[in-house]
Amino acid sequence: MSAMAVEPPSATDAESLSRLIAAVARQDRDAFAALFGYFAPRVKTFLIRSGVNESGADELAQETLLVVWRKAAQFDPVTTGATAWIFTIARNLRIDALRRERRAGTLDASFDLEAFADERPPPDNAIDAAQSQERLSAALAQLNEDQARVIELSFFEDKAHGEIARLLQIPLGTVKSRVRLAMSRLRSLLDEAR
Amino acid sequence: MTIRHHPSDDMLQAYAAGTLDEGQRIAVATHMRTCARCSGWVSALEQVGACMLERLPPTAMSMDALDRVLGRLSALPPPPAGAIFDDVPGLPAFVRRYRFGQWTWVGPGVHLRPIELPVDSPTRVFLLKAVPGTRMLQHSHTDLELTCVLSGAFRHQGGYFGPGDFDLGDEDVEHQPLVEPGEDCICLVAMQGKLRLSGLLGRLMQPFVRL
Ligand SMILES: [Zn+2]
Repeated sequence: MSAMAVEPPSATDAESLSRLIAAVARQDRDAFAALFGYFAPRVKTFLIRSGVNESGADELAQETLLVVWRKAAQFDPVTTGATAWIFTIARNLRIDALRRERRAGTLDASFDLEAFADERPPPDNAIDAAQSQERLSAALAQLNEDQARVIELSFFEDKAHGEIARLLQIPLGTVKSRVRLAMSRLRSLLDEAR
Repeated sequence: MTIRHHPSDDMLQAYAAGTLDEGQRIAVATHMRTCARCSGWVSALEQVGACMLERLPPTAMSMDALDRVLGRLSALPPPPAGAIFDDVPGLPAFVRRYRFGQWTWVGPGVHLRPIELPVDSPTRVFLLKAVPGTRMLQHSHTDLELTCVLSGAFRHQGGYFGPGDFDLGDEDVEHQPLVEPGEDCICLVAMQGKLRLSGLLGRLMQPFVRL
């Protein structure tokens, strides 16, 4: 355990997470330490479950927060939730790391976030991140336990599909169709909410 | 611009999860540049990823992890890479930083320009440009072929494909695209496997079309 000078924010408090990122953009190291305390251990779990080994996951979680420090000024709380933003950074680092692993490379600081920066048009109707997060949580709450589970688990690398099968005690072949079904249910729930 | 053809939900979900290979990721990102529907759905899926992340139990970081990161905060990020490709509009910025080959003749009225991916990918990515009225050879695919229209338009048995439209071909689809009148049709194509040309002309052409 690392010594935390600042109390990490609670999981549900999206607003204080966004405030911390804004403070990090002003080079506030205490705010950074608080963000680190909350996110790094969760990002590490995410990476381990994606098939990255323990020390690699530790390094990549550090790397993720380092990118947060560098890119904090570009974070826009109106269009993106704090956790969603950090999730995409961790995900992109994972893509980058798995590629390098395939090429037998080692981790270094060469990660280039711009290599993943896709451009997206503004959403159909002007809703902000907080509203869409609310809408999404409501839709997720309407899914049954299994559906919510497979959707969550589908965020891990493909090889983890065997793990989903084991966890849910269903055949591997069923996993993909289960994910597909849950996704289309989520999508129609979101469409209804418009 | 009205976009009529979109990537499959499977593909968008894999995009959000980060499990698409680089070539396919490029094709989907190119589509999402102009498609509010798909980018909205991918953003929603990323929020689902965020919910998942928040619910994960924390794993203790190594003792000196925070100190090590704090020690690196002042280090400068690596400088951005060199040339930006801007001959053809409609490509995502990250793709425009890749290396582009030269336009190469592949058949009457048809040119191809390869894009060099910085990472290994089972998918080859290239720009395809065809003049209006070109009837592309009847073909099918040994594997998956993704196409995103950048400018101009074509039509085949599956419908009309204009800027932003996303077309998916696989071994079950056999089609013969016809380029619509007006302007050149330029597409970004991400292709796995080999293109299979059918018919006599196709068999004659195959040696020249090094795909
Ligand atoms: Zn779309």
